[in-house]
Amino acid sequence: MPSLTHASRPAAALDRVLRDERRIWRGREMARVPARATGFAALDACLPGGGWPVGALTEIVPACDGLGELSLVLPALRSLCEAGRAVALVNPPYTPYAPALAKAGLSLDSLLWVHAVRDEEGRWAAEQLLREGAAAVLLWSSAREERALRRLQLAAEAGRACAFLYRRRPEGRPQGRIEPSPAALRVALYPAEGGLRVELVKIRGAPASQVALPLGGSFARRCGACCG
Amino acid sequence: MSLLLPHLPIEARPAGTADPAAVTDGAGAHRRLIACNEPALRAGISAGMDVPSALMRVPMLRLLPRSQADERRALHALAGWAQQFTATVSVDLLRWTLWLEIGASLGYFGGLDALRSAIDAGLAQLGYTARTGIAPTPEAAALLAAHPEVPAVLTLKALRARLSPLALTHLAVDARTLKALQASGIRTCGELLQLPPPALARRFGAALPQYLRRLLGEESDPRPRHTVPEAYRRRCGLPEPVDALEALLFPLRRLLLELEGWLRGRDAALQRLTVTLAHRSMPDTQLELITSSPQREAVRLFALLREKLERTMLHEPVSELRIAATELVAPQALQGDFFDDRARRQHDWSALLDKLRARLGSEAVRRLGLRDDHRPEHAWCIRTEDDRPPANEGGSNEGGSYPDRPDSPDRPLWLLEPTPIARLPKLFGAPERIEAGWWAGEDTSRDYYVARTPEGARWWIYRDGRTGKWFLQGLWA
Repeated sequence: MPSLTHASRPAAALDRVLRDERRIWRGREMARVPARATGFAALDACLPGGGWPVGALTEIVPACDGLGELSLVLPALRSLCEAGRAVALVNPPYTPYAPALAKAGLSLDSLLWVHAVRDEEGRWAAEQLLREGAAAVLLWSSAREERALRRLQLAAEAGRACAFLYRRRPEGRPQGRIEPSPAALRVALYPAEGGLRVELVKIRGAPASQVALPLGGSFARRCGACCG
Repeated sequence: MSLLLPHLPIEARPAGTADPAAVTDGAGAHRRLIACNEPALRAGISAGMDVPSALMRVPMLRLLPRSQADERRALHALAGWAQQFTATVSVDLLRWTLWLEIGASLGYFGGLDALRSAIDAGLAQLGYTARTGIAPTPEAAALLAAHPEVPAVLTLKALRARLSPLALTHLAVDARTLKALQASGIRTCGELLQLPPPALARRFGAALPQYLRRLLGEESDPRPRHTVPEAYRRRCGLPEPVDALEALLFPLRRLLLELEGWLRGRDAALQRLTVTLAHRSMPDTQLELITSSPQREAVRLFALLREKLERTMLHEPVSELRIAATELVAPQALQGDFFDDRARRQHDWSALLDKLRARLGSEAVRRLGLRDDHRPEHAWCIRTEDDRPPANEGGSNEGGSYPDRPDSPDRPLWLLEPTPIARLPKLFGAPERIEAGWWAGEDTSRDYYVARTPEGARWWIYRDGRTGKWFLQGLWA
């Protein structure tokens, strides 16, 4: 069959091109970026590098307070604390409750709580911490300007740290529609039965997706079967 | 080594301005300029001018009356600073000169050239113009400081030959003697040194031959050693009251650089520094800097104080600046070269926390601790101790690493001030009863529940045993 051999030649060439990974970008493949495991296998599988981006800004936009927004990052923070690295909470909206944090395995010595009166001071503190030694900084800020977020992104890059920016979902906007930002990763959080629905609205280097996470820990234990 | 500060009267009064300024001495018709700053020099003003001719050249020239107190303070502070290079420093206030005995320091600082450039760089940073002379005797060093063209003389043997060609002008003799010497046809030091000492003594008094013997090292020339006070205090008057931050920073920087030199000389560091801004009529403004680890680098102290100053309201211009360091501590191995990586990280980290505290206030940077109390709002605390992890001391339960207590109760991550609830959300599970605090006059009996709002928020709420009312106290974030 002459036509078959004829057709196999371009196919072989195409194969060669496809095998050369540097020359082609596959939409479903994820870029290799420095990352830190989130502690949730299902979430790691969706993220480039297999975890929270290191040296980059992650935005977390919960639908409301108290649906697991902190539990989401606790496993990563715990592994940082175990490695003796410092973690800072800057301007959290409520008192971080030491007994619960300690029970979750965080070393209170590694944990810093910074309380700045004004939002821009909080952002400044977060930047300094990111640049100069904290392994992860969780910042609660109402800042919307792209410039402010870019500064955080740059500080995280400079300090090779994880920056988590918690923002409130703007009132009256459709779900998932948030202004543009320089963050490498943006996740929106929604309540789900037995846990949390994590919508990966924007991922640098991977397609957007969503994943449901069971949240174990204290709440689940207290709820018992009702919730799970 | 001799350091001559030809512009001391003006440089002792740091203004940090670019306007031409000069210091005057004397009164009435004898009032003359004794020193002027760089801008004035460029405008053609020089020391020795009388006031009218100076003002004719530069009508805007700022004239400051001489302050010998400021000169004395400046020179003594400089002597303290110089003790990082040698333990033996002496001061000659009238001649605006410092002597440093550097023979023993040469090896440590890596030779004469290295030491000299370290001193020159330090002086320039402080904002002083200095001429240095190096010779085996103090007087010869002072003479060479006035003759920058003559290289350092290192041995007594070479001294006479090197001094001989120099003119008499800069010898440390009074003006009348100098005039008389010149009138008798003596023009160089060599010619003077050849004259028989008894004849010189008869003609000019015993002081002159003694000076010449000391110049050549034929007679010992003991000088009072600048002694190191136990605590560091330095004040610096400002020529004019200042209310702009920038104008304060210049003198502040100098004070801190002097302090750094002084601390190095004592091999000490500090953790507490008091800066006082004095005003004309209002009470002083005091700034207290407390650092979490021993510090002495001026750059770092300056950055911290600058943050503090930027947040300080000045109700009146500042007329004087004072710094005081009364508690000294041993420096940790904090000098650049000897750092190991971990120590450096710790050092940088505490420097960072200092920076945060300086700008946000010391209560803004917190660490959490645990307390043994069943009442949820009392089971935690803010720790106020230093930034290093606390040593494992028994007793206090405020430690950082949580005692392994798997049986410790489940608690939410966010704690709130108890807030009354209008509409009770859906409850889950069995209640946890907490009764504690009756001994503190705070009789509490509460039934805690976990609950879930229609929005999906997970609450930690309780019903007050006495009133039956519901409160929100935590969020399962």
